[in-house]
Amino acid sequence: MKNSIQLLLLLVLIATACEDNILDTTPYGQSTSSQFWRNGEDAVAAANAMYEPLVVEDFYGHAEHTFDIPSDDQFRAGDHGEDQAIESFTFDAGNPQLFYSWRHKYEVISRANAVLINVPDISMDQTLKDRTLGEAHFLRGFMYWRFAVIYGGVPIILEEDVIANNYNKPRATLEETYAQIEADLLRAADLLPISHDADDSGRPSKGSANGLLAKLYLYQKAFDKTISFGQKVLDGPYPLADNYQDNFRVETQNNPEVLFSIQSLQGWQDNTHIIYTTPRPWGGWDFHEPVQDLIEEFEDGDPRLDYTVYKPGDMVDLGGDKGLTEYTEDLSSTGYHFRKYSSWNPQGGLNMSHNNPILRTADVLLMMAEAKIRSGQNGDAEINAVRERANRTELTNATIEDLIHERRVELAGENQRHQDLIRWDKDNLVDIVALYKKDLGPLKPPRNFERPKHYLFAIPQREIDLSNGVLSQNSGY
Amino acid sequence: MKKTIPKMSIHRIIWLVASLLFSVLLVQPVSASLVALENSILADLKGTVVDETGAPLPGATITLQGTTQGTVSDIDGNFSIDIPENGTLVISFIGYKTQVITIGNESVLNVQLIQDESSLNEVLVVGYGTQEKRDVTGAVSSIKGDNLENLPVSGAAQALQGRAAGVNVVRNGGAPGNQGSIRIRGTGTLNNADPLIIIDGVPGGNLNDVNPNNIASIEVLKDASASAIYGTRAANGVVIVTTKRGDFNQPLRVELNGYTGVSNAIKTIDVLDAPTLASLKRERYTNDGLTINPIWENAAYQTQKTNWQEELLGQGTTQNVDLTLRGGNNNSSFMLAGGYFKEEGMISNSDFRRLSFRINSDHRISDKFKVGQNLQLVSINQRSPNTLSAQTGVLWSAIRFHPGLPVMNPDGSYSSSQISGEFGDINNPIFTQNTQDNNSTSHKILGNLNAEYEIIEGLKFRVNFGLDGFISDGYNFNIIVNDQIRTNSMNSLSRSYNEYYSVLAEYFVSYDKVFNDLHNFNFVGGYTTQTFNSDGFSASKRDFLDESFDQRFLSVGQTLNGIDGGKSYDALASYFGRATYNYDERYLVTATFRSDGSSKFAPGNRWGYFPAFSLGWRISEEDFFQNVGFISNMKLTGGWGSLGNQNVPGLQYLALISSGRRYSFGGNQTVGAAQTRVPNLGITWETAQMTNIGLDLGFLDNRLLANLNYFIKDTKDMLIAPPTIGSIGTAQIPNQNLGELRNKGLEVEVLFRESQGKFTYTVSGNASFIQNEVTKLVDGNFIGSRLYGRSSQELSRTYEGSPIASFYGWRADGLYQSSEEIQNDSNIANDPRKSGGLIQPGDMKFLDLNGDGIIDESDREIIGNPHPKVVYGLNAQLGYGNFDLSLFFLGNAGFDIYNADRMQGIDPTYPFNMYAETINRWNGQGTSNEIPRMTTKRDNLNHRTSDLFLEDGDFLRLKNVVLGYTLPTPITDRIGVSKARFYVTGQNVFVLTGYSGMDPELGYTDGNLQLNADYAQYPQARSWTIGTTITF
Repeated sequence: MKNSIQLLLLLVLIATACEDNILDTTPYGQSTSSQFWRNGEDAVAAANAMYEPLVVEDFYGHAEHTFDIPSDDQFRAGDHGEDQAIESFTFDAGNPQLFYSWRHKYEVISRANAVLINVPDISMDQTLKDRTLGEAHFLRGFMYWRFAVIYGGVPIILEEDVIANNYNKPRATLEETYAQIEADLLRAADLLPISHDADDSGRPSKGSANGLLAKLYLYQKAFDKTISFGQKVLDGPYPLADNYQDNFRVETQNNPEVLFSIQSLQGWQDNTHIIYTTPRPWGGWDFHEPVQDLIEEFEDGDPRLDYTVYKPGDMVDLGGDKGLTEYTEDLSSTGYHFRKYSSWNPQGGLNMSHNNPILRTADVLLMMAEAKIRSGQNGDAEINAVRERANRTELTNATIEDLIHERRVELAGENQRHQDLIRWDKDNLVDIVALYKKDLGPLKPPRNFERPKHYLFAIPQREIDLSNGVLSQNSGY
Repeated sequence: MKKTIPKMSIHRIIWLVASLLFSVLLVQPVSASLVALENSILADLKGTVVDETGAPLPGATITLQGTTQGTVSDIDGNFSIDIPENGTLVISFIGYKTQVITIGNESVLNVQLIQDESSLNEVLVVGYGTQEKRDVTGAVSSIKGDNLENLPVSGAAQALQGRAAGVNVVRNGGAPGNQGSIRIRGTGTLNNADPLIIIDGVPGGNLNDVNPNNIASIEVLKDASASAIYGTRAANGVVIVTTKRGDFNQPLRVELNGYTGVSNAIKTIDVLDAPTLASLKRERYTNDGLTINPIWENAAYQTQKTNWQEELLGQGTTQNVDLTLRGGNNNSSFMLAGGYFKEEGMISNSDFRRLSFRINSDHRISDKFKVGQNLQLVSINQRSPNTLSAQTGVLWSAIRFHPGLPVMNPDGSYSSSQISGEFGDINNPIFTQNTQDNNSTSHKILGNLNAEYEIIEGLKFRVNFGLDGFISDGYNFNIIVNDQIRTNSMNSLSRSYNEYYSVLAEYFVSYDKVFNDLHNFNFVGGYTTQTFNSDGFSASKRDFLDESFDQRFLSVGQTLNGIDGGKSYDALASYFGRATYNYDERYLVTATFRSDGSSKFAPGNRWGYFPAFSLGWRISEEDFFQNVGFISNMKLTGGWGSLGNQNVPGLQYLALISSGRRYSFGGNQTVGAAQTRVPNLGITWETAQMTNIGLDLGFLDNRLLANLNYFIKDTKDMLIAPPTIGSIGTAQIPNQNLGELRNKGLEVEVLFRESQGKFTYTVSGNASFIQNEVTKLVDGNFIGSRLYGRSSQELSRTYEGSPIASFYGWRADGLYQSSEEIQNDSNIANDPRKSGGLIQPGDMKFLDLNGDGIIDESDREIIGNPHPKVVYGLNAQLGYGNFDLSLFFLGNAGFDIYNADRMQGIDPTYPFNMYAETINRWNGQGTSNEIPRMTTKRDNLNHRTSDLFLEDGDFLRLKNVVLGYTLPTPITDRIGVSKARFYVTGQNVFVLTGYSGMDPELGYTDGNLQLNADYAQYPQARSWTIGTTITF
């Protein structure tokens, strides 16, 4: 009996002795937010993370470009059934294309908010701190900008909302959304450096913020501000690249003209947009084929055509076994593919290091020209700067028609045309209904653009459902 | 280190003191000495033990009552024993009724033991002990090992399917090694609703690791009273697996099992042949007034070449061999088993292999001190194809790949849909299957060491230390793909290596005491901890210049892709106790309590308290009942209890920042860090409260047994991830204790057995009728689920007031036959598409549920319920002489399947092949009212999620049939074996169902949030095996 009690006590002792902190756990390999925001390195890491969602397939890796397929530049092509309704304006709010990028835009905003909440209190190098905060303001403004052109006003989630856990907000008006974009971009222009070292190229600069501001003001018809902010870009170290095609080549894609682009690095984070726009037998998925109407828009001998599209007879070095290969008509249902988004590895296969340009100085020049023309001034200098690089004849007293033409060819395939047409239609500079009624062949038959319904896309129905009715739909949907 | 939470220490002390006091108080001074046996004349008694068929029963235990003297029958059933005059012998054998015989002056005794499969004296394994079935007041189902033996399935979970009421094994496809999901008494939570698995006393193992042939019994603890002793993890029920053991004083028995067989596809989907496909594709363009894409005029693609499903689905094989040795002497007994199981699926490169080894042993160190152990070593290798994606799944692809393409081109390359955008973004499924190269290997250990010391009679102290661990290795090589539509420009190899181990410690006392022959008392209580540790790393490299199999190693890759690693730790600490009391075997009471601490919650929210109690009344033991002759047993039980669930990710009370967010600047790799989770400081236990009423009935001398249970299970504070509106971004939203859920149902189990001469039969059946309803969600909002396919179609939503994972969509009402019908249809009176000519004859008519004359997103509602109203199993075992036949049927009734594969399969707007039935499409007034016209446009969204694709899922399946023959004794004697049986087994022999897809057993596709949606899952195969069991 004695023995057994001793045994019992011993075992109880074991039980009691070794289990004291058994329920305490550690988040191995992760930090809690209270441990994180310690120093400049943490701030930079948090800033770098803001860019990550940009490149995903459901955002700039493809989906964001689908908002331009209604334009008269391209046929949707590809095999996404839902795109047909987008292209032909028969979509409803349940169309999945409408929500693909929604969440990713807010993720960028969320990461920017985290930076804006936490970085100010970190003691770190002031220059680096300014850059980090500037990046956060720029990206947040850029996201609200994309929201605004696609959907109009959206719920604006800022630092105080994050702190108050207040996410299910009603939509802000378009004016409020514009005001937020303006505030963010102005702050970014203040904080960001003029330019970056090569190792940091791809981060926004003052030029990026001012260029995007110029665009915002153009959409608001604040022409004087478009001109003045455009001028800030022109006064900075952001000259046009020597050659148009430098903007679309892996070796030269980070040149000073590119004010902002989504960066890509083979094997690290891929820009799937280049797979989407490449012919199938060449390893792509064959989306977004340029139509003949766009090809005809180019003036005879405009070299930009050669760098914008693949056309029958073009010889392309696909690398590897395929080598120099002729582009033939049967690769495409329209006869063409966009060329701006593909480069090839020497050993074959698409070069996934190809960036996705978002804003170029050429765009800013054309915005300034447009602002000047539309406010009764002369925009020749700006439009001719763009034309001169393409060996086009100089224009005198360029008209809005000249400008419309120039924007179409210079920025073809860069996700601008549909929004440009909507902007011009609102001011009766073009008749978008008639333009989209034009029969551009069997692949691009006449379509019914309804004013004002189709000025905006529909708010994704799923988000409306999830908000329990807090989100309102755009009119007409 | 942090300061210990004082609460814990107080807990421990109070509990230990209480348990000890409790035990000691009840140990009344007993005149403990056993009555010494008087010396008396011993006589030598010889005898034979036989079973019902008269066959000798080796290994039966014969003991002299009141002593430790005993012997065991030999291989011919013979025994001899010295007994005193008028001595009483107890003859027992597992699975047979124990006989007690007082010996007069006979010198030869022939004993026939009667099988006792589910008699009332059956002993059930419950938590931390056993109970006789007649004394159980909770709801426990028991499945004996012989029901699970030699079925050609990879694991016990599959063998459990349909065997017990209230236990639903949902098959998630038929891929080798896929064990399905066990749901006890409905889906109890939106979170992980898997029950707690306890293998030989160690919680947390995996049923697939156990060779079903080694299982002695499986007990399923269903209600709160039965399972509350495992409070923490018991809310979804508890499955206790007990493996076979040796017996003391048992001669060595060697059992060899082997079977082998083949499996084949039961059904394929009829799809269009190449010429018909081309003509329907052309019709799309003609109908839309478009130029026909020339590829469909091209004769090269209009010759039928390949039936892709037949190419993909070949013949599978199943093989098993295992050897078991059991035996023991007076002090030690053991069971030693080794086995090899291999299943190759119908789809090549899909297989499951298991090598298993087991040692169980028991040792009597002294009369009071016993030690036992279990050890299971398993090595599993598994290769699984992707069959769950409606964009890349191989079976999905095979249904859709162009039938006019050959498997291989004449030049030896695989055919490809790169030819045309009209051929879809599908890779050649045979290419995919033949070139995929992945596998996962795991080496697992599960074992325990336990000791029991009897302090004084009836009071035992027990300790149990367990270890459950594995080392797993994942391997995946992706080749360069240039000639298929989904290309891969870089080859890469990734390896991941993980270690996991869980350490269990249990200390408890048990006390059994009978007072005055009337008051039967039992108590068990103690303290337990379990820790869970995992640690792993993975590495990936790319750019392999040579893709040969002997070059697929990390050292060969030229570029580092990434290296990752992590570690996690969780723990549970618990105090538990259970007291049972019965008065004269008539009035029964059980009370259980458990308090649990979980590391998954923040300090302050860690501890949960889970009480339960139940009452039983054995009416048939009452005097007034003795005249009711035809009812031989009647027991009424009722209980209530509270159970916990903490099966959610840990550390959700912290805002975590994760690194590894990739981006590049100027061609340089950078890594960012972002908050990946919003914290929930208040997160704590989810609880389930269950009420149970049960009735046990026995008729005709217990030859007919019935058991009925009614339960209501309310899950409270359910941890749910609230609907995540997009404005949050993509960070994880923590679970919050917000939801409520109710499952209620009735379970019936019936068994009848009879033997007449050489003919014996047992027929049993079980059925569960369970209703599931979500009673509360966040702000009355819904919880969404996985979206289907390229167009991200929503199939399932979970709403308050409806079952989990209800199907959600539009109501379809036939096709418009004419323009007049469109113009006059009130459903679309105000629909702008009507005037735009976007709705045409041959398009689907949808019902305008909100009455605004427009068909849009607000016209959706819940259209179907994926949960069966009844799940049932029917089992018949017949024996005639040396032949045995068993049939087992499984049925599900009263539920819907959403045939998403067909929804896409008859949708002409996709660049895919279509179901053969598409030929019956609308192509003129009156031609069809179900299959819409051919078009390239989605203006009317004819194939949106609607009840058109909802099908009745009811099925009755002959799950298995076994015909066996046991060699007669004269022959086995001659060849020197004690038993030899040969058998043929058919698995999934036939299925009666109205469901049009491949397999009505589809399972879960998104946690618990999507059920019975057809994604072209890996279907179950029909298999035939032959096998033998030989005992030496």
